[in-house]
Formats: sequence, structure tokens, C-alpha cells
Amino acid sequence: MSTLELTGVSVSRGAGPVIRGVDLTVSSGEVVTVVGPNGAGKTSLMEAISGVIAPSAGTITIDGVSIVKASRSARARRGLAHVEQGRTVFPSLTVLENIRLSAASPVGAQEALALFPELEKRMSSPAGLLSGGEQQMVALARAFASRPRFLLIDEMSLGLAPVVFTRLLPIVGSFARAGVGVLLVEQFTNLALGVASRALIVSGGAVTYSGDARVLLDEPARLHAAYLGGA
Amino acid sequence: MIQGALAGLASGGLYATIAVCLTVMSRLARVVNFAQVAVGMFGAFSSVWLAGPGVPMWLATVIGILVGATLSGIVGLVIATWLAEADVAVRSGVTVAALLVLIALSFILFGTKPLPFTPIFRGAAFTVGTVVISQITVVLVIVAVAVAVAARLVLTRTLLGLRLRALSERPITAELLGIRSRPLSVGVWIVSGIVTTFVVEIVAPSQSNDAVALSMTVVPAAAAALLGAFRRLDLAVVGGLVLGMLDGALAQLQGLALLRYFLPFLVIVGLLLWLQRGEVWDVAR
Amino acid sequence: MSPADRRVSPTRYGVPLLVAVVGLAAGWGLSVGLPDYYVFLGTSVIVAAISLLGLGVVTGSAGMMALCQLSFAVIGAWVTSELNLVKAPGNGILWMVAGAIAAGIVGLLVGLPALRLRGVNLAVVTLGFAAAVGLAVNQYQFPGTAIGVQVFRPQPFFTDRSFFLLSVIVMVIAAVIVYALQVSRVGSGWRAVAFSERGTASAGASVRTTKLSAFAVSAALGGLSGGLVTLQVGFASASTFAPLQSLALYVLAIVNGSYLVDMAVFGGILWVAVPEILKRLGIPQDWSLVVFGVLGVQALTSRTNLGEIVRAAARRRSEVVVLEPAALDDEVPDPTPDAPVLIVQGLGVRFGNVAALDGVDLTLRAGEIIGLIGPNGAGKSTMIDALSGFLPGHTGTITLDGRDLARVSPARRARLGLRRTFQQDRVPPSLTVEAYVRFVARRRVPRPELIDLLSFLGCPAPGTRLAAVDVGTRRLVEVAAQLASRPRVLLLDEPAAGLSHEEHLALGERLARIPIRYGASVILIEHDLDLVRGVCRRILVLDFGKVLADGDRDAVLSDKAVLAAYMGETELL
Repeated sequence: MSTLELTGVSVSRGAGPVIRGVDLTVSSGEVVTVVGPNGAGKTSLMEAISGVIAPSAGTITIDGVSIVKASRSARARRGLAHVEQGRTVFPSLTVLENIRLSAASPVGAQEALALFPELEKRMSSPAGLLSGGEQQMVALARAFASRPRFLLIDEMSLGLAPVVFTRLLPIVGSFARAGVGVLLVEQFTNLALGVASRALIVSGGAVTYSGDARVLLDEPARLHAAYLGGA
Repeated sequence: MIQGALAGLASGGLYATIAVCLTVMSRLARVVNFAQVAVGMFGAFSSVWLAGPGVPMWLATVIGILVGATLSGIVGLVIATWLAEADVAVRSGVTVAALLVLIALSFILFGTKPLPFTPIFRGAAFTVGTVVISQITVVLVIVAVAVAVAARLVLTRTLLGLRLRALSERPITAELLGIRSRPLSVGVWIVSGIVTTFVVEIVAPSQSNDAVALSMTVVPAAAAALLGAFRRLDLAVVGGLVLGMLDGALAQLQGLALLRYFLPFLVIVGLLLWLQRGEVWDVAR
Repeated sequence: MSPADRRVSPTRYGVPLLVAVVGLAAGWGLSVGLPDYYVFLGTSVIVAAISLLGLGVVTGSAGMMALCQLSFAVIGAWVTSELNLVKAPGNGILWMVAGAIAAGIVGLLVGLPALRLRGVNLAVVTLGFAAAVGLAVNQYQFPGTAIGVQVFRPQPFFTDRSFFLLSVIVMVIAAVIVYALQVSRVGSGWRAVAFSERGTASAGASVRTTKLSAFAVSAALGGLSGGLVTLQVGFASASTFAPLQSLALYVLAIVNGSYLVDMAVFGGILWVAVPEILKRLGIPQDWSLVVFGVLGVQALTSRTNLGEIVRAAARRRSEVVVLEPAALDDEVPDPTPDAPVLIVQGLGVRFGNVAALDGVDLTLRAGEIIGLIGPNGAGKSTMIDALSGFLPGHTGTITLDGRDLARVSPARRARLGLRRTFQQDRVPPSLTVEAYVRFVARRRVPRPELIDLLSFLGCPAPGTRLAAVDVGTRRLVEVAAQLASRPRVLLLDEPAAGLSHEEHLALGERLARIPIRYGASVILIEHDLDLVRGVCRRILVLDFGKVLADGDRDAVLSDKAVLAAYMGETELL
């Protein structure tokens, strides 16, 4: 049982802080979702956790050990996988090669692919030729193949048809059942709340709600207030 | 003229090998390495300088290769540490500065007069009709092809090659997957330094071996690499050999000296125009 | 009109001319006061400074990598020697200028194919050119050197001292010309093209012409320095212009930021002083190249240069002064849309397998503001790109005021009155607000109108450097600048991003008045539906590249299909 913990994390971009004072915990086997209006700083938060950018304040620890000084590849080797926003497959590498890159072993690769049977027939295609939904599947499979302890997923719905997204969303649940701690950033709020156990609402650069996800589904007024509250 | 062309094949082998190195560096290290030949030049000159006081030839050569590899690694380390996310132009700018420093240092340490190289390979290999083909030519052509084939095999068939390709395509995503970018990048620089120094050691005795002229062979090599758009190794080899032969043939014709000097420039311009004919906008900006 | 509005920008020509006069006086003083040896060195400093000034234009201002500056000096030296040999009419000064012009023309020729080449590719080309010229110059002697014909300095400047004064005069004239260009629209164009080609095109400036002008000016200055050194020494020699020296000069230009005139002079001093000092210390002069190289690496890795450091230290930490937006007292009348201004039919854009836009129809009428909304990735920015000409491979037709825009370049569309802003920051930080607005406007904007426009949108004062302004405000400046050009159609891509919620709504009130005040019709992409609701009477909804709804605001926003498409897009809750 592992825990990823953020305390008082702030992230700045150029002009000023995009997001301030974030407290957040993700434990193995649970799905925590972060929702909020565009430009609220959710992606910056993810990037601070995985090391793409450095936080301007606060601590980030895995099982109590700080990872802020560790490089991106070191964090990955400690079990942190980040599926970035947009299409992040390596376009000229085949599907199989994309997944082999992160798999600790061939078995890991097989297990990951088993979750996405549609990819079976596209194994030797260069990933750049796949459709948006298929590329997102490859990115997810690739992240899962590394047997991560924590999986950060940033807006995997971007540019995907709703039917594709609804097909992918349950897989996030299976990741959690396999013991991975998932942090899910999404713009499709209601669907994300449906698959998560806990939720954070980020609005206007601050956390306006942190707690149970079902509560927000049951009380939409509260959801609404938290969304607009931060402005 | 045929003799000239075949004599030029030795240079062609040099251009081809350097073109392969430039292509690999461009793909993997995201840089146009203007100092590519200069590191080899420095390593080769170190060998000659060591061989002077009686160090055995083979040892001097090996040490020279190590020197070239180290210098290349240092440039790579500087770029990987401080310019990891900079664009190609800024990274290549560092290699321009490195080119300047290496030539200047070689003037300081080894003087400006041509050095007495002991050829590793000498003499003729075989004769075809009336035309003599030297050993150096044969060796260089073989090396050029071998390096290209080896590079291709490593890149497409090994896990290391897979990681390198991923790192060059999307550096941040690759790092997020646990690929150690700095050691791998510096490793690429070191290997390219080894290959370059090796080739320069072989070819130097047959070329004008002053520091500037040797280092400037990066220009025709770049022209050859452009034939493959800095992506295709096979075309880089072909381009290098062809350019070498053209250069050799033109050297025989007294009146066309000007054309011979401008040939790499014209090839570069022509190829770049052709390659970028469809491109409208610099996507990133 | 208040006194503040009437004040003419004092630094435009007053201070530089003063500096020029001081420079001339200092030069005269030095020519009289310096010991003999230093006078000769001083001339070399000036020669290098002129060359660096040219490099500064192409490398520092316009952002291109040029490794062949001294090859242009060769052209200048060649022409000067040739004209001297054939005893052409005139004297050394005239031949030197002729050499500069010739070098400028060669620069144009070398630059023409180079236009489509960016960054590194241009470096490869120019290095190839430098190598070729270097070889040629070794093979073929300069005219007259073989038979020992000397190039004599023109009469009043025969002695070393008077020649030094001549070179100072030449430098000052060149510097004034370069400065005049830098503060004009030409110079703004150089800085714009260094920062963003798309941004430059969206301002109606041809990227090609801008790059060519930078190349030609830098080559001409290189040629000038070549002619000057020929007169200084009496003959031209290949070793002065070796490719290695071109590389060293380039690296030095990077180190000191020689697009600033004072730094060009300082660079010239370094060029001469460093080898001189080494000579005094008994150290081989090749070490000066090592010094330059190491400094170059340092400058590149720290992304700054001496000029910037000095300027930053000298600059007072002043606050960005934002002009107070005047109160809006006019009522916004209900729009009565007029004749169609922009007609789009069957617009389609494919990226590989993906159809980013599919069969989009749209008619924008004069005086209208249309809101373009849709989920992320729906194709909104793609549509703006296609309309403004940045996606030439689209299907369908676009007509502006009855004129078909097929195959019309983005710069030309901008000049025809179709203007756009960008989602990403494409405003060059090295310009001031005023310089940028005037560059984008492409018309004479009287100062009162400029102030009025800037305060209308809540932009900073005209003299403010854009680097000191935050991203959200830069976006407002971009909108103001495009408005200053009095466009027919204005396409705004998320202009309010980076502003707070109150600022969003304030901006909305301004945007609503654009058609009345400035006569432009607007298509506005925005995520903030409160803003869209307040500003646009008509809304177009895009989803997966197709038009989902197009019509009256209230009808569209209550359409169930539109709500379903958003599925959790927060502002609709």
C-alpha cells in the first residue's frame, strides 16, 4: 500500500501562480479525480508531480520520501507514470515498440495489451497512423505496462468521440483494481465523478472542494458552487 | 578524369562516414554538429603528437580516439545539461563555438604547420584497367557503409536503439517513461567522437591535414547528409561518395576550380530548397 | 486633448542624434589625442564594429544564424580593389560604398534561397558559402595584389589619424542608419520575425521581405567593413577574411548582443583588445579564439548576452503603467447586421486521417459579432487558421467582401483587412507597445488615436516594453494592435485567457463595442460563456469539426444537443 502525498503545492508559470496551496493524497487502488474549468491549473499540477516543471512551493512525497529533487526518469523508475495531455505516443515507433519501451518485462507488455484487444491487429503499425482513440489506448497501455504505483492521467478525453471515451473510462477502474493509485484530470466532470472515489475541484487557481466524489454527483448545486467559487 | 573521380572516392568515404554521423546526431541528439570533424581532427593530431616521442603507433592511435571521444562527450554534456529543452539552433550554436575552440586549441598545441602523419594504410589496393585504387579508398568506403549499417541495426533492432529513437522524438515523454536522457545523450556524442576520430586517423595522411581544412570537411559532409534530409543513412552514404567523386573529378580540370569550391554550397542550397518546397510555416512558431 | 497626449516621444530621434554628435566629437578627440600605435588599432576596432553591427542585424534582431559575414567583407574588399586597379572615377570612399552595395546585392542573392530556411539550415548554407569563398580567395588573389598595386586612402584622410577619423564618421553614419531602421517598421519586422513567423504574417508583413532586408543590410555592412580595411591596410589579404574569422565574429556577436549599437562598438574593442592583451602577456594570440568560444558557450547556455545584462542593470525597476480605461457611456445599440462581409462555404481541413473541420458554412455580416464555441479540440482554432490563410490545403471557399481568398497568403489577407489574434503568445517581447502597435497597424496612427485605443482596452502605456508585461495583458495589446489596422474582419482566439473573471467581463463590454467604434465585424472564440452571452448575439457551435448549431444566442444556448455535446463543460451548468 503506497501513498502519493502533496502538501501546500503551488505551481507558477511565467507571470504568477497558476495554482496555490494544493493538498492531495492518492493511495494504491483508488481513483482520485481533479476537475475544474479550463486554465485552472490542473495540468500544471500534474506536471509538477511528474517533474515536467518544478513546483514553486510545497512538498510532494511517495511513502513519505520527497521526490521533488528527483529527475523525471528517476520518478518514473520509482513507480510514477504520467500520461500527458494530447497524443503522446512516439509516432514513428510501432504500437508494440511503444509499449515495449516501458514494460519491465514482456509479461508486463502482454498484460497491458490484454486490456485493449482492439490494438491486437495494429501491433506493427507506426503509432502515428492510428486514430486518436487508438493512440490514447496505446498511451494508457504503455503507462500501465510499466507496473506503476501511481498513474497520472491528464484529460484523456481530449479530441475523442464520447463513445470512445466511455469505452476507455472503465479501464481506469481496472487499473485501480490492479492496485494502481490513479489521479485523473478530466473535463467531462460527471463521467469522471462516476469512476472516482474522491474528487478535487480546482477553480481560479485554488482547491474549492476536496472529498467524496459521490456527494458531488448527488448534490449538483454543490458542484456548481465549487466550480464558480474560485473566481 | 576517371582517375580523379576514383581518387576522390577516398574523400568521399570520409564525407560519407561524417554524413552518417551528422545524420545520427541530428536524429538522436537534435543538433547539427558543426564540430563533428573538428573533434576527430584534434584526436588525430594528438596521436601524431604522441607518436613523436616514441609512443607505439597503435597506442597513440587508441589514445587519440579516446581524446576525440572525450572532447565530443564534453560538448554533449554541456548541451544535455543546460540546453536540454532548447531548440536545434541554439544547441547547434554551441557546436559552432566548439569548432572555434578546437581549431584554436589545435593551433596552440600542435602548431599551424601540417603534421607528419604515418599512414595506417598505404599504397594501392588493386588496379582496374589503367586506374589505381588506393587502400585508403577501399577502407574508407567499407567503413562508411559499415557504420551506416551498424547504426541502422542498433537503432531498429535493439532496445537501446528504441530508447534513443523515443528520446529524440519526444524527449519529455521518454523521460517520463524512465529513460535516462543525459547518459544516453552523452553516450551518443561519445560514440560519434570515436567513429569520427577513427576515420580521420585513417584519412589524414592523404588529405591536406591542416586543422582548418580538415574541420571544414564538415561542409561537404553536411551537403551529403542533406541528401538524406538528415534522416536517411543510405542516402547520406551515397551523397558522400558521389560528392567525393565529383570533387575529385573537378580537381583535374583546371578551369573549373571555382565550381569545385562552390560545389558543396550549391548542393546544400539546392537540396534544402527541394526538401522544404512544400513547407510553409515554421510549425513551432 | 490633454498635454500628455500632445507630448511627442522624445527619444525617437533627439537622443540618438545627440549620441551621434558626441561620438563624432569623441572620435575627433581620440584621433588627435591617442598615440600612433593605438590610432591604427582604433581603426581596426571600428572595422570590426561595423561588421558586428551588420551581424547584429541579421543574428540579434532578426534571429537568423549567419556564419559568413566576412565573406561579404571579401566582396567589399574585392570591389574596392578592382575599382582601384582600373582607376575608376571617384576615390576610395566612393569605391568603399560601391563595395557595400555590391555586398548587399550578393547578400540578397544568397539570402533568396535562404528565406525558406530557418535557424540551423541557414547556418549550414552560410557556412558552405563561407568555406567556398575562403577557398576561392586563397586561389584567386585580390585584384592588384599580384602586381603590387596599393589602394591609397583619399586625400584629406591620408594619415593614420585622419583615416581613423574617417572610419569614425563612416561608423557613425552606418550606426544612425541602422538605428533609424531599428526604430522603424522595418526593425519591428525584424524582431517580429525572430520571435514568430506566424505573428509577423498576421501583421500583414511579408516574412520573406523582412528576412531579405535583414540579410541585405547585414551583408552591406560586412562589405563596408571589407572596403574600409582595404583602405586602412592598402591592400586586401585572404587571411583577414578567413572562414575561421567569420565563425569567431559570429560567436562574438552572440556574446555581446551586437544588435545594440553600443555593444557593436564594445565587441569591436574586444575583437582587437583581447589578442592585443594576450600579445602583451606573451600568450599565443590563438587563445583569443578560445576565449571567444568559451564566452559564446556561456552566453548560449545562459540565454542572455552582455548587452542585455548591461541594459537590465541600468534600467530602473519601473512599474508597468496601465492606461485607465475610460468609462463607457455609450449604449451599445442592437446590431442590425448588414451585407455579408465574410462568406465561408464547405470549409474542410484534414490532418492525415483526421478531419479537423468538415463542411463548415458560415456567413459573417457587417457589424456582427459571432461567438464560436465548442469543446476542446472541436476545430475552433483550426477554423481561424484556415480563415486567416495558415492552412492553405483546405477544401471549400472563403470570400471576403466578394473576393475569393483561395491561394491568398496570410500576410496578404491581413493587408486586405482580415486580421486575427493567436491563442499562443506571439507578441515579440523585445518591442515596446507603441512599436508593436504601429507595426501591426500598417497605417499612420495619430498619437491621440493610439492612446484612445490603448486605454479603451486597458493596455499599458505606449512606451512600455512588452517583456515587462504579463501574458494576459500582451494578448490585449495584440487585440488593440490588430484593431489599430481598422480591419474589416477580426478573428479573436481566446483573447481573455489569462485574465480574471472580472476582467473577462470588462473585456466583454469593450468587445461588444468594436463594430460601432471601429467598424470591424468579429468572430470570437471563447470558453467563458458569461462573456459570450454578453457580447454575441449569434453563436456558432462546433463539435468534432462540424457545425452543431448556428443561430441566435438564446436559442443555441438552450439547445439540448448543444448541452449534450458539452457533457460537463462547466460553465454551462
